Amino acid sequence: MSFVFVLALVFQVLAQDRAITGKVTSSEDGSPLPGVNIGVKGTSRGTTTDANGNYKINASGNAVLTFSFVGFNSYSVNAGSRTVIDVKLVNNNQELEEVVVTALGIEKSKRELNYATQNVKGSDLAQKSEPNVLNALQGRVAGVQITGASGEAGASTNINIRGITSFTGNNQPLFVVDGIPVSNDLDRTNGGPNGTLGGPQSSNRALDIAPENIESINILKGPAAAALYGSRASSGAVIITTKSGKGGSLNKKMEVTVSSSYTVQNMYGYPELQNDYGQGSAGIYLGTTTNSWGPKFGTTPTLANGLLKADGTTVPYKAYPNNNNDFYKQGSIASNSVNLAGGNATQSYSMTLGNTTQKGIIPGSEFNRTNVAFGGTTLLANKIKFGGSFNYTLTGQNNFLTGNGASAPGVLSSLPRSYDLQGLPYKDANGRSIYITSNDNPYWSVENNKTTSTVDRITGNINLGYDITPWMSVTYRLGLDNYTDRRKQVFAIGAARLPTGAILEDVFYRNEINSDLIFRFKKDKLFSDDINFTGLIGYNVNQRKFQNVSAYGGGLTLPNYYNINNATTYTSANGATGESNTLRRLIGYYAQASFDYKNYLFLELTGRADQSSTLPKDNNTFFYPSASLGFSLTDAFKMESDILSFAKLRVSYAKVGKDADPYKLASVYTVTSQGNNVSSISFPINGQAGFSIGTRIGSGNNLTPEFTTSYEAGGNFGFFRNRMNLDLAVYQTISTDQILDVAVAGSTGYSTRTTNIGKMTNKGLEVMLSYKVITGKNFDWTVTGNLTMNRNKVDEIGNGVTSFSVPGSAFTGSVPSIVEGRPYGVILGNKRVRNADGKFVINPVTGFWVAATPNQEISNPNPDAIIGISNSFKYKGVGFSFLIDSQQGGSIVSFTAATLKGVGALKETAVDRDKPRIIDGVILNSDGTYRPNNIQIDAQNYWSQQGTQTDLNVYGATTYRLREVVLSYQLPKSVLAKLPFGDVNISLTGRNLFFIAPDSPIDPELNTQGAGNIRGLELQSAPNTRNYGVNVRLTF
Amino acid sequence: MKNKIKNILRISVLALGVVSVGGCSSDFLDVNNTPNNPLTVPPSSLMTTLAYDASFASSNDLGRITSILMQYQAGINNQVLTYDTYNIRGASNDQWKFELYAGLLINAQKMIDNTQSTSPVYAGIAKIYKAYGFSILTDLWGDIPYSQALRGDNNVFQPRLDSQKDIYLGNTGSQIQSLFDLVKEGMADLDKTSVLKPGADDVVYAGDVKKWKRLGNTLLLKFAIQISRVQPDRAKDEITKVLASADGYVNDNALDFQVVYGSVAGAQNPLYAFNIVNRPDDQMLSQRFRDTLQLYKDPRISKFFTSPTGQFVSFNNGATGAAPASATRSRYGVYLTGVSGEAPIKLVTNFQRAFILAEASLSLGTAGDTQKLFEEGIRASMLKSGISATDVDAYFKANPDVVTLKGTNSQKINQILTQKWIANVGNGLEAFNDWRRWGFPRLDKALNANGGDDANIPVRLPYPSLEQQSNPNVPTPGPKTFERVWWDVD
Repeated sequence: MSFVFVLALVFQVLAQDRAITGKVTSSEDGSPLPGVNIGVKGTSRGTTTDANGNYKINASGNAVLTFSFVGFNSYSVNAGSRTVIDVKLVNNNQELEEVVVTALGIEKSKRELNYATQNVKGSDLAQKSEPNVLNALQGRVAGVQITGASGEAGASTNINIRGITSFTGNNQPLFVVDGIPVSNDLDRTNGGPNGTLGGPQSSNRALDIAPENIESINILKGPAAAALYGSRASSGAVIITTKSGKGGSLNKKMEVTVSSSYTVQNMYGYPELQNDYGQGSAGIYLGTTTNSWGPKFGTTPTLANGLLKADGTTVPYKAYPNNNNDFYKQGSIASNSVNLAGGNATQSYSMTLGNTTQKGIIPGSEFNRTNVAFGGTTLLANKIKFGGSFNYTLTGQNNFLTGNGASAPGVLSSLPRSYDLQGLPYKDANGRSIYITSNDNPYWSVENNKTTSTVDRITGNINLGYDITPWMSVTYRLGLDNYTDRRKQVFAIGAARLPTGAILEDVFYRNEINSDLIFRFKKDKLFSDDINFTGLIGYNVNQRKFQNVSAYGGGLTLPNYYNINNATTYTSANGATGESNTLRRLIGYYAQASFDYKNYLFLELTGRADQSSTLPKDNNTFFYPSASLGFSLTDAFKMESDILSFAKLRVSYAKVGKDADPYKLASVYTVTSQGNNVSSISFPINGQAGFSIGTRIGSGNNLTPEFTTSYEAGGNFGFFRNRMNLDLAVYQTISTDQILDVAVAGSTGYSTRTTNIGKMTNKGLEVMLSYKVITGKNFDWTVTGNLTMNRNKVDEIGNGVTSFSVPGSAFTGSVPSIVEGRPYGVILGNKRVRNADGKFVINPVTGFWVAATPNQEISNPNPDAIIGISNSFKYKGVGFSFLIDSQQGGSIVSFTAATLKGVGALKETAVDRDKPRIIDGVILNSDGTYRPNNIQIDAQNYWSQQGTQTDLNVYGATTYRLREVVLSYQLPKSVLAKLPFGDVNISLTGRNLFFIAPDSPIDPELNTQGAGNIRGLELQSAPNTRNYGVNVRLTF
Repeated sequence: MKNKIKNILRISVLALGVVSVGGCSSDFLDVNNTPNNPLTVPPSSLMTTLAYDASFASSNDLGRITSILMQYQAGINNQVLTYDTYNIRGASNDQWKFELYAGLLINAQKMIDNTQSTSPVYAGIAKIYKAYGFSILTDLWGDIPYSQALRGDNNVFQPRLDSQKDIYLGNTGSQIQSLFDLVKEGMADLDKTSVLKPGADDVVYAGDVKKWKRLGNTLLLKFAIQISRVQPDRAKDEITKVLASADGYVNDNALDFQVVYGSVAGAQNPLYAFNIVNRPDDQMLSQRFRDTLQLYKDPRISKFFTSPTGQFVSFNNGATGAAPASATRSRYGVYLTGVSGEAPIKLVTNFQRAFILAEASLSLGTAGDTQKLFEEGIRASMLKSGISATDVDAYFKANPDVVTLKGTNSQKINQILTQKWIANVGNGLEAFNDWRRWGFPRLDKALNANGGDDANIPVRLPYPSLEQQSNPNVPTPGPKTFERVWWDVD
């Protein structure tokens, strides 16, 4: 894809050709450099070196050859009359000349960029024992927060760039693969009574992108970088170039790369549990409770403590220290891929075949992905460049209910410490669950209540390019992203929350088409000798279709027969049976002009006008501009210093407009349903239809686009001959006139209305630092670090509304909310009352906390800072690197920890259990003063009072994590020479090896509802995993 | 040059071709009409909705809170357990919003708006539903958005609070229509010529306008008795008019305002869905209700509650000890749940009417034989609960002390309201109304009560937080749970 543009940017046709040959080597060790781009300046000609660094190109007498290669300084030479030109390229230590792909596939060197972007090489992502490319990015990119849902196979991962900018819209960045915007949507399957709070953890669709096929990722962080992408770029963009999309290299023999890896996964991060007390209550054994407040292990059985039965027998009673953890088994990920690439003078091709199969840590859970990709380019006889890529992915996921309630992780969090989960039967002769309570036995739950997903996805593009004149070229690109996700959710007969069983068929379809016609201009020496100009104008047509068809049937007749015709009732509650369609179209016109003055002053202007189907017809066109300026001090003032080797300052301004979701203008009627998971009704009832006016008031024709305005300033500095590189960025984004279904008072008869409202700002700082501590002939040590600090504030909601909940499902008592004056997504819940001195106010009768105040802010999930530090060492062919990252600040609400506390399973509940305690608090005197609390309460009451949803179950999320350790070995060339391989690389990786979370009993990096705007809620999902993998890559 | 132009053409044609495949005509962007939802619906589909919205609102969480407060049930787990220690602040958001204002009431309002001029029979029934819905709201919360409510689609986003007094009595100066007048207006609409008329879509009375008028009058009785302590003259006047009305009132169990449910998931009544299916371990029979029924040797207990062990196993409200084993607990029985959730939810009943008239004859001096009306109420309830007429007669014969009023008026009212309390099982709202009006039956507060604003049985519900957040007219923190509503004089 991008390859086409490289060619497109080179112009002029020359006569009097002759062949020039040569060899390109590294100045450092003299090794040949394959894949070096060689161009003839002022023409469209180009070639690349072969595996041995040799090249051949036709050029005229006065031709200037340019040699460019990632990681090396570009080099230009006047060919003169020579026919053999050998070149030694010099390693560029600061990678300033590194080419990155920016919006619309425009390639720029870092030197030219006026805004922060960050590039991650495919080699940093592939073979990292992470099937989800987003997880592999964790800790590597400044300005980006990435949080996985859990360690469940195929669970989604949330990514926010520079904070959250939209109150209720999608805050995930735009994903662009090989120039084509693709879906990273997360579709939820919410069958059954638990809805999203108890559903499976489905994938975000970026998971369909195989890390092994990724050539590079560039993160466009702000609107300035992404403005040309229009509406969806306000949350930044993730630009992915795949190996197949790149289409191989010209003039290169076929090269085959085989990658294989095998990873094992083990659960980690679960709270520590006590093993001193077993099932019971108030120190007495009770076989029907899920509490572990029974007698101490080893206590003499008596009638009084319940361990001695009336018939004289004793109750089997001992600790099963691993009954909880042993439920999670060792998971594995096997990944294999083959890539073929090559080309001749006019054609190139690349093909990738890959498969990843993951067996999750929950018994029976599975994720697998098979992808086939093909890409190629050809230069037709009529000088039209023609290229395309095609990618088919088949992704499957088999997973289970999570969350509060009858799910396996939910039940495990209140498993008595003396319950022999592994030893006791989990189902009876009829296949029904056996457990202490009516909840499902975890083994029964995962064996019977399953959700499967099968995604067939095709993405592809065709593109054409033609150089009309030396200064103007045209390209056309048509891109398609199309997938169908067929899901089936099953609740077996006997399921605790659905005793008669149920089946949900849930099919999602998405289709996006993008058509872009772009004219590009390039003129060196515009107006004066010192100004070079590039520009483009473009025309985009975008169409997005979505369909969800679902059928929900309950009251199953036969067990283990999961055809929906086995159901006896069909319900439409909350869209369980029904259809939802959306279609939206957008026409965009855009332009960009870039000026380069003496290679030290860079100005870039963009503008885009969009016309959207989702806005009122008479007012559906909107325009937004951006401008950026960069100034290289060292070049401008010709500073030559060994200390400050390079310094560039940059500022930018950008505005991005965004249209509405479809169908927001009108108020509608809906099929009536009432209630939630504890009781509900849905029509038809007894054959009678029922409709209700919808709870949302349509906007009418007053809706206008919403805008995000961003200001960014930064600098890029090279020190010590560019051995150290520092990149700083500060930014402020202001989102205004948000298109929002804002809450209205229920007494209006509605729940929300669609309108333009509100203002939210993000301010932040990003620091990226890389330092080559040692660069020697045989030994390298490089430290790279990044720091992210983002401060979000909801400045204003408006119309008297000061607070409303983030759309999605939540439990009353832990509601992610949008609160005026506070950061986005703070969690409102029940807060214990404190006096002016911050002491708990205690009830003088009970000795417990007085009734908590509901609807108070109890948790702020937004971190103060995210830090990642990577060290990599290289000694000859041996590489070793480790990445430590840290989240500072923020907090998490943990239902798992709360439940473990309440039932007396958490380790700290066993400490001094036999001693009474006095809550550190005060009691209100009649004269308004306070006296210290002196009322004793027992341990069980003390802890079980904390088991409910209160601010006592909010934990600091500060975490230090050894994210990744990699040991790799590359076979030396001397050995390779005797083998049929071009490259052999073996590596051992460890992911998530170890963490310290000083303020939390549970790994705070859990987010049960996955990708989306609800963050900081752990609602009893699977724990995270620690991964060890071995990876092999062969090239031949 | 020629080649160049050809190539440009080739690319442009492809580009434009793709666009035109998408239909780049003037209506290319005209795709914003939703295929997912209707923009208009016939009144029949709203009619059915009203019946289920009303009965769901009455018997779902508002019913659960009040049934716990009135000690029909005792909480064991989760939300209802917290209700049992009177921790009710923070609850009821969904009830206020989705079940009442944005449920029953807005749909009634839409039906009125859609049918008033063409099919006023529909509008009339909608007004009766609307009055019933607003009475639930004001009885629980006191002052509520009323005259300015339900106008979100007319840009009224922060409706003011109207006082309970104005809601019950009306206030012309403030343009507040009384609930009495709203019902009467609805009854008048029922006589008008109507293009469309309800039939099977009216799951309560199958479109029988006469029955709706009887219900209208019975609602007037209910409203009148509710204000009888604070406005005895008005109450007496309203009741006297109803007794003289040619339209009659609900005087037979077959005329009860009740909504039949179904036996499949999604159609089961909330009492069944909650107590039997989804939250069987959250609450069980209250010891006080069991003791009362057993003291009176009342046969209805076996219809009201289950007895899996042959015994009625109950739990003390607010107790912290371990509850009896799940399999042994008495839960709501067949009268309330049906065999599989189909039992009707009773909203306004014949026995309720009899007890109202009994109380009024004593407290207001309205016409009627108090003792006969008292017996009529007990008998109607027993028959309704499934006790055979023979067994009812036998019970009356064997328990003259229970079925005979004696002592002072206050003692008699205690007897009437205690029997009404028994009969109202499953309808905590009405029991809560009666209890607050007179303090009968006398209830001790739950053990370990630590919620509410004074740890006593609340006499109102705190305003829902979502309404407070989005409507500045609603005071925050709002009245305490011990502050009485207007009609609750002592």
